[in-house]
Amino acid sequence: MSLLELDHVSHFYGTERALNDVTLRIEPGTVGLIGQNGAGKSTLLKILMGLIQPTQGSSSVLGLDIKSQGMELRGRIGFMPETEALVPGMRGFDLVALAGELCGMPRKQALRRSHEVLSHLGLEEARYRRCEEYSVGMKQRLKLAAALVHDPELLLLDEPTAGLDPDGREAMLALLKSLAGRHGKSLILSTHLLGDVDRVCDQVLIVHRGVVRGVGRIGELRAQYRGRYRLQWRGDGVEFLNQLRTAGVTVHANGHADLAFVETPVDWNVRQFFELSCRCDLTLREVAPQEEDLEELYHRVIGNQD
Amino acid sequence: MDPYSSWTGARRSPWWGTWAIVRTGLNLILRRWIFWVLIGLGLLNFLFNFAFIYLKATIDVQNKTLGDFLNNYQVTGNGRAYADFMFAQASITALLLAFAGSMLIGGDYRQGGVVYYLSRRIERRHYVAGKLLLIASVVTIITTLPTLILFCEFGFLTSSFDYFLDHPRILAGILGYGAVLAVVQSLLLFAIAAWVPRTVPLVMTWLGMFVLVQALAEALRSINDNRTWLLLSIWGDMQRLGRWCFGTLDAAKTPTAEQCAAALTALCAACLVLILARVRAVEVVK
Repeated sequence: MSLLELDHVSHFYGTERALNDVTLRIEPGTVGLIGQNGAGKSTLLKILMGLIQPTQGSSSVLGLDIKSQGMELRGRIGFMPETEALVPGMRGFDLVALAGELCGMPRKQALRRSHEVLSHLGLEEARYRRCEEYSVGMKQRLKLAAALVHDPELLLLDEPTAGLDPDGREAMLALLKSLAGRHGKSLILSTHLLGDVDRVCDQVLIVHRGVVRGVGRIGELRAQYRGRYRLQWRGDGVEFLNQLRTAGVTVHANGHADLAFVETPVDWNVRQFFELSCRCDLTLREVAPQEEDLEELYHRVIGNQD
Repeated sequence: MDPYSSWTGARRSPWWGTWAIVRTGLNLILRRWIFWVLIGLGLLNFLFNFAFIYLKATIDVQNKTLGDFLNNYQVTGNGRAYADFMFAQASITALLLAFAGSMLIGGDYRQGGVVYYLSRRIERRHYVAGKLLLIASVVTIITTLPTLILFCEFGFLTSSFDYFLDHPRILAGILGYGAVLAVVQSLLLFAIAAWVPRTVPLVMTWLGMFVLVQALAEALRSINDNRTWLLLSIWGDMQRLGRWCFGTLDAAKTPTAEQCAAALTALCAACLVLILARVRAVEVVK
C-alpha cells in the first residue's frame, strides 16, 4: 500500500489556484515537503489531513479516501503543528491523554499511553507541569507526544525544529530518525530547513507555485545530476582548462590555480580528463564526482522549470 | 528513554471526544481557587435555603400557627421562590463564567488550542458541542441541580409525596428556566470569548452585556415610556422567561414571554453564527 496517492488534484481558493493538477504516488518512508512560502505546502497538508477537500481530483492517504474518510484518516495520522497548539492551564500529561481521547482512544488506555509516550520523549520529569511552564524545546516534544499518543502510522510534522537551539534541533532530528528507523513510522516533514530534510528524509516532494516539481528518493533525484566533478592538479592548468572548454566541458572559475569545478557533457567519459591532462603535461591529483546538496537540487528543480 | 510501544484497539465515536472536552474543562475550573470562591458563594445560598426548608418543616410539625405564618412570606416551596433562588444562583454563575470564559474558550484562540483540537479525530461540530456543553454543565451544576435538590427536599420534608404530583409546573419551571439559562449563557459566552479572548476585555464585555445593557434598556424605557425597550435586557428576558416557565409571570405586563423568547432566540442565533464564523476561520495548518 502506498503512503499517499494524488490523482490530478487541484485546489482553488476562490479564483486563486493553490494546487494545480498534482498527480503523485509516494511510498511509506520519510518524506520532506519543501517549497517557498505560498507554494501550496499548507494546502497539500490540509488535503492530506482531510481538513479540506480538493476542488478537483481524487486522493487517498494510507489507503483511505480523503473525501469520504477524512475524520477516520486523522485517527491514523499524527499532526504536529508549527503553531503553539496547547491548551493553557492543562498539565502536559493531561494534554497528551486528552489528545489520545480525541483520537478515539478509551480514557484508561489514553492515560497509559500518555505516560509511555512522555517517558519515551524524555518528558517524564516534567509531565505534571502546566504547558505554559515548558521551555520551547519541551513544548515541541510535548506537541510530538500529542501527535504520537494514538500510535499513528503517519506523522505530519510542520516545522518541527522551529525555534529550537542547535542542541534541541539535534535531539529532535535524532528522535524523528529513531521514530522512522526503529519504529517504522512514516513521516512527512514540511520545513524550510533543507538540512533537516537531508538529515531525516529519504524522499523529497518539491512544490512550487502549486505544482509538484520533483518527487522521489533524494538519491535518485541527485543521480539525475551526474557529470559534476572537482578537479585538482599539479602544474600549469591554463592550457588544461582551455582544452576542457574546447571539449564542451563547463568550467566554474573559483580563483584557485590548481582547482576547478567542472560540468561535463552527457556523453563524457572520466578517462577523457586523464587523456587531456597527459596532453597538457599535467598531473591530475584528484577527480572527485561532486554530489549535489539538497539546496542545489531544490534550486535546480525550481530553476529548470521556471 | 523507554522503548516505544505500539497501540492497537478499537477507536470510539468522536462524540466521546466531546465528553472529554467537557470533563477536561470542568477539571480546569475545579483546579483554580478563584472559582472555588464563587462556587462557595453559590453553595452558601443553597445551604441557607436547604436549612430554611428543614427549619420550616420542623416548625410546621411542632407549631402549626408559626408554620402558617411563615407560609405567608413565600420564602420557599412555590414557583416564585424557586425562580428567585435560580436567579440568585444564575448571577453567581454569570460572575464565574466571566472569569472562566477566558480560560475555557479564550485560551483556545490565544494559544492555538483550537488547532490542537481540530487536528485530532473530531470535526468542528464536536469541538463546538463540547465547549457549549461544558459551559452549560457549569450553569446547570450551579443553578438547576441545587434547585432540583431543594424541590425534592421540600417535597419530602414539608408535605406528603402529593407535593410532587400537585406541582408539576414547578418541576417544569426548574427544568425550563435551567435550560434557558444554560443555552443562552453558553452561546453568549462562547461567542464573546471566541472574539474577545483576553481576560479583562472579556470580563468587561460579558458584564457589560448584562449590567450596561440592562441599564440602557431601563433608561430607554423611561425616556420613551415604552416597556418593549426592556427586551434589550438579556438578563431581564431570561428572568421573565423563567417566571413564565414557573407560571408566575404577570401576563398583563409587557414584554410578554413570547417576545422575550423571540429576543433570546434571535440573540442565540446571532451567537451561533459568530461562533461558527470564528471556528471556521481557524487554520489548522498555517
